[in-house]
Amino acid sequence: MDAPDGIALSGVCKTFTGRGRVVEALRDVTLTCPQGSFTAIIGPSGCGKSTAMRIAMGLEQPDKGTVSIAGKTPLQAARDGLTGIAFQDAALLPWRSVRRNVEVPLEVLRRPLATSSEHVEHLIELVGLKGFENALPGELSGGMRQRVAIARALATHPQVLFMDEPFGALDQILRRQMNLELQRIWAESGSTALLVTHGIDEAVFLADRVVVMHAHPGRIVEVIDIPFDRPRQPALFSDATFHQTCDRIAEALHGG
Amino acid sequence: MAADTRLPLRGLRNAVIILAVWEIVGRLDLVAGGALPGFTEILFRLWEDRADYPRHIWATLAASGAGFLIGNMVAIAAGIVFALSPATLRLFRGVNIAIFALPPIAIAPILVLTLSGMAPRIALAALGVYFVTMTATVIGLSQADSRATDLIRGYGGSRRDELRLVLFRGAMPSILSGLRIAAPNAVLGAILAEFGGGGRWGLGAYLLGSLGRGEPDRLWSIGLVATLIAGLSYGVFALLSRRIVGATRAVTLNSAIPEVTKVGGTPAFRLFLTLGAVALPFLFWWAFIWLTGVPDLIAKTPWGVVDYLFLSRTAETAQARLLAALAETLPITFAGMLAGLAFAFLLAISSKLFPRAIEAFMPVALITQTMPLVALTPLLVLILGRGPSLTLWVTISVTFFPAFVTLAQGIALVPRSAEELPRAYGGSRWTELRMVTIPASLPYLFAATRLTVPRALLGVMIAEWLATGRGLGNLLNQSRGYLDYGMIWTVAAVSVLLSVVFYQAVVLIERRVLTRMGMSTAE
Repeated sequence: MDAPDGIALSGVCKTFTGRGRVVEALRDVTLTCPQGSFTAIIGPSGCGKSTAMRIAMGLEQPDKGTVSIAGKTPLQAARDGLTGIAFQDAALLPWRSVRRNVEVPLEVLRRPLATSSEHVEHLIELVGLKGFENALPGELSGGMRQRVAIARALATHPQVLFMDEPFGALDQILRRQMNLELQRIWAESGSTALLVTHGIDEAVFLADRVVVMHAHPGRIVEVIDIPFDRPRQPALFSDATFHQTCDRIAEALHGG
Repeated sequence: MAADTRLPLRGLRNAVIILAVWEIVGRLDLVAGGALPGFTEILFRLWEDRADYPRHIWATLAASGAGFLIGNMVAIAAGIVFALSPATLRLFRGVNIAIFALPPIAIAPILVLTLSGMAPRIALAALGVYFVTMTATVIGLSQADSRATDLIRGYGGSRRDELRLVLFRGAMPSILSGLRIAAPNAVLGAILAEFGGGGRWGLGAYLLGSLGRGEPDRLWSIGLVATLIAGLSYGVFALLSRRIVGATRAVTLNSAIPEVTKVGGTPAFRLFLTLGAVALPFLFWWAFIWLTGVPDLIAKTPWGVVDYLFLSRTAETAQARLLAALAETLPITFAGMLAGLAFAFLLAISSKLFPRAIEAFMPVALITQTMPLVALTPLLVLILGRGPSLTLWVTISVTFFPAFVTLAQGIALVPRSAEELPRAYGGSRWTELRMVTIPASLPYLFAATRLTVPRALLGVMIAEWLATGRGLGNLLNQSRGYLDYGMIWTVAAVSVLLSVVFYQAVVLIERRVLTRMGMSTAE
């Protein structure tokens, strides 16, 4: 048998009840991400893409359906330190230095900090923050904070990497730069990645497959394979086939 | 979310349960041999005494109303000046802190000595109002949208136009929410002045007069009426601001002096401002005595107090009496404040563990913000007697509620994603508390401490004055009886000074700790 799939959601349903209204956030969502693949979910606001990710992280329970992360339940996978997480806002703890913020997952998992200090240092260097180890989040720019969050997501050597619009708050230029870095970091780590994003070009540039979702109810309407070779270069952003793929996804987003 | 529609119903249910328990406990005389009468017994007594109330209520309303008006006019004017001129704000820092921190009961006798008629009550009500409204005005004006002011300036508008067209309208919600909190403060100020000033009419005088007669049902009905008036005054302004602004904001008590980031000028100018800030309260003191024209024998200037305490023939005994009183007052102030804060902190933190229980408690805590809690000390005397435990409980009750509201609202502001991080890695609720919630609530713990410092001293002094016969409160009351003017002024000055020093100490520690932790001060 091969290794179990990195992320497997099957038949997941979720409804929320709010102010007397019932919102069907997810209807029968099935999504399989093979080990080591990069999947991007794209869709309008309210299509349930963040809910799908929160269910995969174990922060919400599905009403129906099953979730398996590297062959385990989300909670078990989290407790075993198989997952890495980056939220939309960096969610850094303002009273902890950069290094101590990166160490948060290790502390939650009660891993000895001494043995991973080299790894943590390596991660901080990887995201280009060498020299800022002892800075507090308040002293960093928005882009730097987001990079700390990425380093933190990698601190546990995760097999599965969850990213919920990690670059949503950054400007276009910085975003491109971070996309390049993320590709490099992900390739080095060999993990299964799931990225929720609003940016079509970001999704196409990074992912092996782009999952398009629609709202009311939240569901998957199309899965589009992205054929480009890796490592992908910045020149890809101005490639004609790249733009054709982007247009196809835009069509899938707006169509029926 | 679905709970929103059921919330009023649940509140009503809780209120009915509380009243039912109260009635049963009261009817069976379960608390301190009948110190807590049943709710209906209180209402009956209220009906029996109905002829007494109008004059008392009118006296308290007139004083608090006039104080509210005067205090707010001064406060809004001062707020505008402070918002326009940071240097003035810096210069008045000492005055502002002193007004925030002064225990009203300590200066009530002074006001009675120097002013006449209703003036002392009006003055104390105005002092209770000033700080809240002034802060709200400064914050409201300085938070204006800079793009909107740029627009006015872009069309050649003057600073006056900016103020008229943008700033004042933008500050409206903030000022109105300030008035809302200020209204019950005015009632409290008037009642405290009635405690401290004698006089025949007014709810405070009525309460004090009935304390000696041992009639729990009458004391409770007066307390109920006082609470109702304070609550109604809050409600009127809550309604008004909802009408005008369209949205009401949460009740928070601001305890921070509005801070200006930069004051320009040479170092010598800034030194002048700092020295001025320290000297100005004393200048005001001097000017006040000079303006009222009260003879030297009765009105002591700052120099008069120094003379009384250090130079005169009786200086030694005066010092000894003051120190003995301080030795009784300070420990219990700290103990009560720490207990109130610790209790509030634990309860606020546990709102993360038992959200439903705290959700049910929050409305109760919010209602207490509109209650003249300190004015209800006579009711506690009935239940707890006149021992030191009374002082402790009065202090805890006046510190706990505001501290809890500040902390609970602060903890609710911790970003969800930061709290979810430990959970996403499989951490327990306890890990979440330890790593995120507790450290994140630190700025609010400091804010709550700043808020409770003056209240704790006020609570202790009131309990000492009215009941226990110990400490600073008692010394003040005694000196009033002996016409020991020097001591009255000394106790007032010392208690204000102590309050200011505590407050300032908390601010200094807060700044140092929060800067080191990369956090900013909570407002």
